Amino acid sequence: MPEARRNALERMVETFQMTSTLPEELDVESPPVKALLATLTETQRNNFLAMAKDPGVRRMSVASNAAMARYWNEVLHARERGKKVAFIPFNCSPEIFHALDIVPVGVEVLNSFAMVLEEGIHEYLDLAVERGLPDTMCSAQRGVVGMLEAGVIEKPDFLINGAAGSCDPNSKIFEYISEKWDIPAVYLDVPYSHDRRAIDYYTEGYREVVAALQELSGNKLDQDRLREVCELTNQCTEIIMEINDMKRQVPNPVPNYYNLNHLVQKLTLVGTPDALAFYRKALEVCEERMRNGLHVLPEERIRLIMMYTGIYFDQGLHYWFQEEMGVSYLMDLLVFYDFNPIIDTTNTDTMLSGLAEGMLNLPMTRQLKGSWDMPANWLEDLLLYVERYKADCLAFTGHAACKQVWGVYRIVADEVRRQLGVPSLRLEGDGWDSRVSSLDVLKEQFTDFFETLA
Amino acid sequence: MQALRELTEVSGTLQNRHVDAWKRQGKKVVGFVCSYLPEEILYAMEILPYRITGKGAQDTSHADSYLTRVNCSFARACLELGFTGRYGFLDGAVWINGCDHIRRCYDNWRAKIPFAFMYMLPVPHKISPQARRWYGEEVLRFQRAVEDHFGVKLSPERLAEAVSTYNETRSLLRRLYDLRTAELPPFTGAEVLTILSAASSMPRAEYNRILRDLLEEAKARSAGAPDRRVRLLVAGSLMDDVDFIANVEDLGAIVVTDALCFGARSFWNPTDESGDLLENLIDRYYEHPPCPRMTGAYPQRLAFLREQIERAGVEGVILQHIKFCDLHGTDNALLKRDLERDGIPVMELERQYGPLADAGRIRTRVQAFLERIGA
Repeated sequence: MPEARRNALERMVETFQMTSTLPEELDVESPPVKALLATLTETQRNNFLAMAKDPGVRRMSVASNAAMARYWNEVLHARERGKKVAFIPFNCSPEIFHALDIVPVGVEVLNSFAMVLEEGIHEYLDLAVERGLPDTMCSAQRGVVGMLEAGVIEKPDFLINGAAGSCDPNSKIFEYISEKWDIPAVYLDVPYSHDRRAIDYYTEGYREVVAALQELSGNKLDQDRLREVCELTNQCTEIIMEINDMKRQVPNPVPNYYNLNHLVQKLTLVGTPDALAFYRKALEVCEERMRNGLHVLPEERIRLIMMYTGIYFDQGLHYWFQEEMGVSYLMDLLVFYDFNPIIDTTNTDTMLSGLAEGMLNLPMTRQLKGSWDMPANWLEDLLLYVERYKADCLAFTGHAACKQVWGVYRIVADEVRRQLGVPSLRLEGDGWDSRVSSLDVLKEQFTDFFETLA
Repeated sequence: MQALRELTEVSGTLQNRHVDAWKRQGKKVVGFVCSYLPEEILYAMEILPYRITGKGAQDTSHADSYLTRVNCSFARACLELGFTGRYGFLDGAVWINGCDHIRRCYDNWRAKIPFAFMYMLPVPHKISPQARRWYGEEVLRFQRAVEDHFGVKLSPERLAEAVSTYNETRSLLRRLYDLRTAELPPFTGAEVLTILSAASSMPRAEYNRILRDLLEEAKARSAGAPDRRVRLLVAGSLMDDVDFIANVEDLGAIVVTDALCFGARSFWNPTDESGDLLENLIDRYYEHPPCPRMTGAYPQRLAFLREQIERAGVEGVILQHIKFCDLHGTDNALLKRDLERDGIPVMELERQYGPLADAGRIRTRVQAFLERIGA
């Protein structure tokens, strides 16, 4: 690794600023654009085309990228503006942080966006292991540990983890970061079950986290500010549900790449005007596509749900499905948000309860905290989503660190097939590390699988 | 050493003669998998708590179809023994959501080869007053589930008796560990692991009787290893593999203490026998030296290791973890850093669970480690 790299966030801000200025009229087939694309690496080219080729996708991506440019800039300058920065996992809602004027950084989001850096993420994944972390720990967070080791990002002021009980590697890596860099950490315990008693237990724990956040940040929770944030979230939730409704259409008018933009907004900015602006733009694009009868190309042949996480190291898969394969990527588990409630904004108490219940229903926490066939767990959700969104098949990326998912994949997949006749594909990939299974390998495996569905 | 022979026989047989004798009396045997289960509750209702392990699994070919290559080999070995009927003598089993691997072992076991009584006792993943209340409620729910299923009742008198019996075990094992602090300990680490392993495979009162005899016999026993050896502590993932310890000791070391859930961590703190026994019991299990599953409890784990190192005169530490055990693997990285800062030589070792799996590689690494210490 070179002696000193420039701060990663600075470079991420620049990238998002650039990609938020893509013109409405952009012909990716024009000679100058093609010449420019030829200078990019294959992954960069794939990522660019996934977000920019389709005019509608480009418009929603511009809105998302502009929001992300402002967001990463805020993270970068948080300290000089007197704000605290908290690292959180993807199953920790950002709203409470926005309400408390704390800047939340989703570790998995940062890890994923680090892939826009010219050096990519592999060296950071490896550096974390060289410095002690087991190589079986999740690549969704391991890159951030490597970036901390390399000094290309600053350590946060504190850590909040809400995965204890739903994913061992996720909660453990927060403890590792806390101990290694001497950063205060707060943990929210996830109950095994999902009944009223469990929700109350979780909500009580959530309130303790909120109290700890106020203490750590020195900021006091203001009811009006919290309401403002929750109302923005509620507006986003309504749009998310509206777009989800459109996904039920056959063919599905919602472009595959929406899922990724949506995920990013949901994990970082929901509860802010920027997120609402993105969702409004996304809705506008989806409605327009529905009016114009647009869908995946050349025609919708297959409706796919990823059973758990997706592939994030290269957006070529989204592009390939959308533009060439006629595969409608309905969703992956990380955008399973059908159970997020509208928050009752009557008072602080009702809002905290709503936020806590929303968090307990976030992807992974909801589906993987207990046993596979319990209510509000993985099997039940898959059966519901497959039926609701008329999926033809399922796929599991086989993300190596998801040991708890690997451990029940077979009984879950068998049961979905038994009850609904829907088959699934088990890959052996890694969402963030292309060296485990390259994009080409994954494409071959998908191609073979799709042929069996014909 | 008649007592040691008896315990070795128990430790080496899944369905040992004590289990048979217990069942012949018409009493039930319930398996469990984790040190967070208050065993006394079962024992007080005349149900024998029997710790499920993967001991004796020669391969995991059946289990691998469900728990996969990225799941820990201990969980797979347990499931394999379940699939092949080796735990057919159990009348039920209670699991703890100890880690992602073992809870998925439960899922597959329940889906494919369920006992009439299959119970998951969820334990919170943090130490706090709120989480302690939750754990207490869960233990009470577990008690009621056992009572309902087996038609038994937990009486205060029997609970007091069980608590006292289990505390006696803890006290006897502390004496055994005191003996290990000697310059030439009377038992090798492999022998001690055999003794420990028998504890959760037979009725505790009988175990205590044999353990008392063993401690008596130890007075007349010469050193377990004939010469002065490098004194090691072993910590990390679940370890009931006597051959692993024997393999290490073969190279000129002696394991004099540990921080294992089959070892010191499982018996170090007694239950307070005054006041509300059930509450004390719940406190005891909740607060026992924590597993790395308990978030934010790293300082307690480090402190426990330091205590063991100090009292047993440890010269080197082996921090092992079963491959894919992220909890111990990650903790071990931090422990290595902190113990080496204390000046204690540390070796981190990734291993597979099973009969001398990877023995050659482990021998080479341990040998190099012992040379580094200066043996």
